[in-house]
Amino acid sequence: MKRIILLALFASVSLLAADSASVYRSGLLLPPKGDVIYDRQCALCHGDNGKQTTFKGSAMDIKYAPIAGWDVAKMSRELLRYKSGREEKDYSPVNKTGYGAIMRAATKDLSVAELDAVAAYVNGLK
Amino acid sequence: MDNQYIKNMLSQMDKELASKGMSRRDAMKLAGISSASLLMGGTNAQAAEEEIVKTDAKGRILIIGGGLAGMSTARRLTLKLSNPDITIIEPNEDSSNYQPGQTLVGGGIWPIEEIIFKRDDYVPDGVKLIKEKAIAFTPQKNYVTTDKGTKVEYDYMIVAAGLHLDFERLKGIEAAGRCYSSGDNSNLLKVLGDDVCSIFTAEGAERTWEIMQAKIEEAKKASPEKPLRFIFTHPNTPIKCGGAPKKIMNLANARLKEAGVRDNVEMLFCTNGGAMFGIPEYHDAVLGQFKREGFKWHYRHNLLEVHKDRKIAVFDSKWQEKGPWDPIMHEYEVIPKHEKVEIAYDFLHIAPPQMAPRELRESDVGSAAGWIPVNKQTLQHFQYKNIYAVGDVAQVPMGKTGGSVRKQYKVLVDNIIAQMEGKKLPAKYAGYTVCPLITTIGTVMLAEFNWTVKPTPLLPLDPTVERWMWWLVKIYALKPMTQIGMLTTGRA
Repeated sequence: MKRIILLALFASVSLLAADSASVYRSGLLLPPKGDVIYDRQCALCHGDNGKQTTFKGSAMDIKYAPIAGWDVAKMSRELLRYKSGREEKDYSPVNKTGYGAIMRAATKDLSVAELDAVAAYVNGLK
Repeated sequence: MDNQYIKNMLSQMDKELASKGMSRRDAMKLAGISSASLLMGGTNAQAAEEEIVKTDAKGRILIIGGGLAGMSTARRLTLKLSNPDITIIEPNEDSSNYQPGQTLVGGGIWPIEEIIFKRDDYVPDGVKLIKEKAIAFTPQKNYVTTDKGTKVEYDYMIVAAGLHLDFERLKGIEAAGRCYSSGDNSNLLKVLGDDVCSIFTAEGAERTWEIMQAKIEEAKKASPEKPLRFIFTHPNTPIKCGGAPKKIMNLANARLKEAGVRDNVEMLFCTNGGAMFGIPEYHDAVLGQFKREGFKWHYRHNLLEVHKDRKIAVFDSKWQEKGPWDPIMHEYEVIPKHEKVEIAYDFLHIAPPQMAPRELRESDVGSAAGWIPVNKQTLQHFQYKNIYAVGDVAQVPMGKTGGSVRKQYKVLVDNIIAQMEGKKLPAKYAGYTVCPLITTIGTVMLAEFNWTVKPTPLLPLDPTVERWMWWLVKIYALKPMTQIGMLTTGRA
């Protein structure tokens, strides 16, 4: 119980910290900032370096590709597909590894310019 | 060519007038009177000399957005308050553009310079302008935060942030993204390409005229047996100026006739709605005009996708079918059906889906529907009583036109001052809006109405008839009315 309360406290503190640290928000037609968006939307699962391939908290054993250094065009295309795409054959949402819903949520409010900025940032990760 | 056309039109008009024993000067005077009464919105010409009583009411007023609604509200507040303390937050330097002129730019009547109003020219004296973007709203504690991190506190806030054009929702042109009607939209134009256009942005309106001219040249090579197809769409969201898609269609029609190639083109209007106009009288009039001009139309067609390479637009077509007998309800069930329909186009004019900006939609000020939930009569926020909304972003039915703003900003100023003085809110907006529906070059049907869903004309003339007089009003009177009346004096 204590641990849960502590966890919740920690989570709320870190949320507040994130809020005041940067005033950037995605989806507002501001000049895109790939690094800020990556930190907020991607780093938890893909790691700060883009090399993480699994999420430890998950009950299921799901692996995904290390994305660091991906081609920018390929990356933007994939992100755009996750954001708004449907599979051609049955119109189901795009879901490659089992995390389709999470990718959809992460990309939903990003503009196309912001997706491109994230793709460029990921391309630069070593 | 345009000047020649207008000259011809005027000489024609002179002939008509002479037959009635009237000079053009008299007629212009008459049009002037009507435009003056337009300014007053149906009261009378005396109201032009409205007496302004200054008040000593105090309070820090913050206005989000420096478009027509925000700027004219600020102007009128400075007129009525003896010690105004007003701040406007607006990052875009073209924010005050004259948007009603975009149809005329799209139809090649006006050059784009006619509609570019610089924000900095219209900031009233003594009003502070912050050239940043408000991105976080904390109405519980009465402050907003901008993208540069500036925290702005207020006692009263007026949200006039406008709306986003959401091209991103249309598959095939997602990369066009979201945008405002003014400012740099080069990305949008690049993505739309050479066959697709939209007059809903200022730059897009200019581009529309270029594309239209190219397509008219192309139409000269077509034949009535193998016509080109021009498609004009209307989306499934509330839009700025619901008449705009029809206006540009009518202007395109006029330009095709002028070039003598109208028979080589099929004109098709695809609307998500089930009628031409929400008001039965105007619906009948517009439908009659569509039939007369030989336009085709599809109701309940919502644009979903654009395949630029194949020049095909995909629509979601909806209809209802009679289902099995329901023994409990004693009637047949109605089964809604829909399917995707592909229609080939040679020229596609898109009226994009539109929505409130995200920073407001997801803030505590916004609502699930996106628009700012305000009392539609007093324009006061339902929950936060020191917040008001005006213009496109307000959740007010039929209220997304400059004509509505002209009524709303006065109501808002009266109410906010009453609240500052601790009085009951006196003013009520009745939903007046106006749509000068251009039916061809030289005539306009002046559709005026309010929430009673009845035509509310201010002159005793049949409102469903297209008249050249309204054309003169649209071309000559409405812009100075906006520019001088609302933005520079705050009295119109």
